[in-house]
Amino acid sequence: MPVAAVCAAALFFGITIAGCESESPTQAAPPPPATAPAAPSVAPGGATVNPAPAPQATPAPPAPPPKQFHLGAAASALATQARGEAAHGDLPQAQATIERALRIEPDNPLLWIELGQLHENAGEHAQADGMGRKALQLASGDPRAMASAWRLIAESLRARGRNEEAVEAEGRANALAAR
Amino acid sequence: MRLIGLSIAGVLLAGIAAVIYVLHLDHLVTHQFEGRRWTLPAQVYAAPLELYPGLALGGAELERELRRLQYRRSTELNRSGTYRRAGDRFDISLRPAQFAGESRPAQFLSITADASTVSSLRDARGHELPIMRFEPLLIGSIFPIHGEDRIVVAPSEVPALLPAALKAVEDRNYDTHHGIDPLAILRALWVDARAGQIEQGGSTLTQQLVKSYFLDPRRTAGRKIREAIMAMALESHFSKADLMNAYINEIHLGQDGNRAIHGFGLASEFYFGKPLAELDTGEIATLVAIVRGPSYYDPRRHADRAQKRRNLVLKLMAEQRIITPDEAQRDTARPLGVTSRASGAYYPAYLDLVRRTLRRDYREQDLTEAGLRVFTNLDPRVQERAEQTLQHELARLERAHRRKDQTLEGAVVVTAPQSGDVIAVVGGRDPGYDGFDRALDAHRQIGSLVKPFIYLAALESGRYTPASIIDDSPVAVEIARGKYWQPENFTHQSYGPVPLVRALAESLNLATVNLGMSLGLPAVAGSLKRFGLEENPPQNPALLLGAVSLTPLEVAALYTGLANGGFRTTLRAVRAVISAQGKPLRAFPVEVQPVAHADAVYEVDSMLEQVMQHGTGRPALAVLPPGITVAGKSGTSSDLRDSWFAGFTGGGLAVVWVGYDDNAVSGFTGSSGALPVWAHLMAGLPAVSWNAPLPESLEQVTIDYPTGLRAQAGCSDDLVSIAVPAGSDPPLKPGCPQSAALPGGATAQAAPGAVQTLIDRAGKWFHGLTH
Repeated sequence: MPVAAVCAAALFFGITIAGCESESPTQAAPPPPATAPAAPSVAPGGATVNPAPAPQATPAPPAPPPKQFHLGAAASALATQARGEAAHGDLPQAQATIERALRIEPDNPLLWIELGQLHENAGEHAQADGMGRKALQLASGDPRAMASAWRLIAESLRARGRNEEAVEAEGRANALAAR
Repeated sequence: MRLIGLSIAGVLLAGIAAVIYVLHLDHLVTHQFEGRRWTLPAQVYAAPLELYPGLALGGAELERELRRLQYRRSTELNRSGTYRRAGDRFDISLRPAQFAGESRPAQFLSITADASTVSSLRDARGHELPIMRFEPLLIGSIFPIHGEDRIVVAPSEVPALLPAALKAVEDRNYDTHHGIDPLAILRALWVDARAGQIEQGGSTLTQQLVKSYFLDPRRTAGRKIREAIMAMALESHFSKADLMNAYINEIHLGQDGNRAIHGFGLASEFYFGKPLAELDTGEIATLVAIVRGPSYYDPRRHADRAQKRRNLVLKLMAEQRIITPDEAQRDTARPLGVTSRASGAYYPAYLDLVRRTLRRDYREQDLTEAGLRVFTNLDPRVQERAEQTLQHELARLERAHRRKDQTLEGAVVVTAPQSGDVIAVVGGRDPGYDGFDRALDAHRQIGSLVKPFIYLAALESGRYTPASIIDDSPVAVEIARGKYWQPENFTHQSYGPVPLVRALAESLNLATVNLGMSLGLPAVAGSLKRFGLEENPPQNPALLLGAVSLTPLEVAALYTGLANGGFRTTLRAVRAVISAQGKPLRAFPVEVQPVAHADAVYEVDSMLEQVMQHGTGRPALAVLPPGITVAGKSGTSSDLRDSWFAGFTGGGLAVVWVGYDDNAVSGFTGSSGALPVWAHLMAGLPAVSWNAPLPESLEQVTIDYPTGLRAQAGCSDDLVSIAVPAGSDPPLKPGCPQSAALPGGATAQAAPGAVQTLIDRAGKWFHGLTH
């Protein structure tokens, strides 16, 4: 009887552990179908995605190519200006300039990564982490941008002495970069 | 002998007392003068308009923005502050501009903009520019401590005609007297006696200045003597020019609710919507006319009187040879030209938020620093759209449900969810009136607005997906011994087993209460607190139907977190504060903090999309541009007292409240009251879809809306597409083929096996328990 109980417990435990592991989002999964039923917005920057047809129940939408985020001309010019300001040591001003760019492209993960990096360089690790996670969410579907976001998160974790989590984050970055 | 001695002593004593008294008054008035002279108000600015190729701003709108900044159209561009237009091409002579982080000299800008879009920007040499911003619009000039506003004008900004007119009308001998003018007093008495009414005052400008420092309506002889002494004291210390400038900046010229209009700079904006330097002769004469009695001669409420007095002023100006008789005649014939109060860039509800931010975040001594420049996140276009929409819709709603003793009121808050910028605040139906700011101060029961936070807690627990079935059936919750709370649905019906998405879309109370009780009130309260609710919500079951009172701004803070993917983001009206010299003093940077599982928030947002497509938000679709993705939630408090709608697109989040100030029953639900305001507001903003990317661990499935079962066209006529955890595999609707709505369609891998699904489910459950 005790043996059976131990086996049952082990089985239960094993299942739940396996269940926890299956939470990880980095396993290779087919790229998710495009979701927005609206027409693609004419934004100056953002992601280039072939507009998918509106979802219909019967013919399944074809899997879209992976996204790749880039900066539009205006945001790009501001990002360049911000880098100059940061190079001159004026981190608060550089942050303000990226915030300006974010008003134009609020959903662009590359800008959130830039802003997060500025906070990280200024020693504001919690802020950098938050922005890294924001970038991660916005970058869903673009492995390169997601990897960048994970690297920023890793840096902020390491700076706060959370080395195990930092290693895990770097692992995710590497896995994504390999995709 | 002794009598003479006593009398002399008495006179001496009296003399000494008098001297001391005069010195005291001298000190008092000088202190006042100096104190005010060096205190400049803080200048408050809206967010500058950023221009770049591709911006959805057409030529007509661009021209409106130039006008808003008081740029004049002209054929010559020799002065900054002018522009030239030829069809789609605008050539602008930009004024020098001060921003939070940089100052920019005057320069030339050329813009090409067709009916809808800016296509190019060029500098003076024809080089393409990727981005350029206009100078920010001045929206307030306030003393942070007491909140009074002024537009302080330097002598160079004062038209020469103004001091001349003031002297001609109020104080002919200003340049020569020493504070009081006995001849003027006598003449005034004579003239007034003959005319039988007050036509000329005998007070000098200096005396009027003193009077304005120590506002005292009592016109006793004692007061007049005090003022006379103080006027002479001022004259002995300060130059005529200084005193005139102080007068021009101090004198009371109007009242508007809580707002006192002091000084000609502010009066010029208030009455004419223009800076003082741009007023014409007739307008200057009008302001000078108002000096004698700002309420009696109010040009808006008593236009006839004001006009008569203005014409008198013109006559006196002609008599004193500061204008020609022809000019006087011409201007006498003209109407007053005063604008209606709504014009001019005055947004008291937004300024209210700015003042509170400054007072909260600034130490007392910083606030007294002169001439601070405060840069805010206000977007004047959105602000005006919000104001107009609220006014228009409230008027329309009232025609359907009129109450004699109360006007239907409302409030609007608009934010940019990713950054937390507060871009518009409307405090009431009359936006220009500086009174009770409902957006910041009206605490109202939020009703069904609470529900998304309950559903979020449900999804985060791992026990539910948007397709999970919950029970919309009668529930009785014991709230005290033997006492039960038995809520009902709005329709008084119950719908049995329904999927989560439907329960939220249709705001089903029974299902929500059942769900909330199974999660437990702490989980729900915790959900609200994570998103920024500061106070502890009441821990009783009525919380599940929104028995908690919040202001529209607090609701905006909560929903901003839902709209941006689950990040608690500090709402900021103020962006940065710099000193008068341009030194950065304080920045209010963007702050984000993840507070919820990204997947769960995406699922909630996807369900809020269905509120619009299928549920209580549906009427908005008729008003919104076709094809854009929107999400939101209606809220109605018990007995239909408060009508709420909170919703977002890719362009912003708006929260609207409609109701009566005395908390009476309005008869409006969230859908019938606040929703139309919200929809018309959003329809006037750039049409950008909410299009957050689908997280990699979720998938879109199509389900049968009434039952929550997986389905497709052909076996269901009421389909809805929602995001669920990948592999959660909602059961199939009977009669639907197996391949219905698989993620990725026919080309995808087979659905995960039963064991894998079980493992996934157990894992999520366990994960949910331990986090």
